Amino acid sequence: MATLHDSKLKRAAQWADVRGRGLGMWAYALNRLTGLGLVVYLYLHLVVLSQLTKGPSAWDGFVALARTRLFLTLDVVLLAGLLIHGLNGLRVTLNGFGLGVRSQKTLFIALMAVAAIALIVGAVMIYGK
Amino acid sequence: MADMLSNRPASESASLPQTSASWLWQAVTGVGLILLASLHMIAHHFVAAGGLRDYASVVDYLRNPLIIVLEVLFLIVVTTHALLGVRAILFDFGLSEMAEKRTMQALWVLGMLTVGYGLWLTWTIIRSA
Repeated sequence: MATLHDSKLKRAAQWADVRGRGLGMWAYALNRLTGLGLVVYLYLHLVVLSQLTKGPSAWDGFVALARTRLFLTLDVVLLAGLLIHGLNGLRVTLNGFGLGVRSQKTLFIALMAVAAIALIVGAVMIYGK
Repeated sequence: MADMLSNRPASESASLPQTSASWLWQAVTGVGLILLASLHMIAHHFVAAGGLRDYASVVDYLRNPLIIVLEVLFLIVVTTHALLGVRAILFDFGLSEMAEKRTMQALWVLGMLTVGYGLWLTWTIIRSA
């Protein structure tokens, strides 16, 4: 039983082990890791939004906290997750429909370059507010 | 989906089209999210003074009927996309048919609760001011 359980865990975690794997597997793992992070963020975000039901003082107090350097850095991390997951996911979708399959690695590198540029622009805007 | 991103030669990957309904929904909601999440991020974090709307601005923003429709659509689409992603990861554990069925039921309930909470939150904010 324990062996069966272990093998299931091993199988489930296989995607996260990118040691010695190619760029495609890195892209796949990156998509899942950013996806998991964004799911956690979605629920944290919904919890934080409950402050809005407590009136202006509760929300505006949170807004003041959210404008601190630490929170702005977390915003940049969020933006990185959104850009990587969104653009990598777009590639997965295109490939899934048979588009750009032969150039998927080039497409991945190009989209991640776009993500990096957008992240720099976004970070400048976030810290510049 | 994993096959599209693995280290298989492109020609081999191309011969393995993914046709499951879940994958298709994941792709459709993902593409929708690129638009909806971009709009959400721009409206709430880049256009807003200080990078985040204060209480009065949130209420004012949510009183626009078009914005309400877009935000509710965003909530439904992001929840669907997130939970389909969680489903894919959980199914990698090699669950039994019954466990897969129970997982799907649990994710449906979680999804309904999430959207229900979001709708309640929106309604409460609009009515509060």
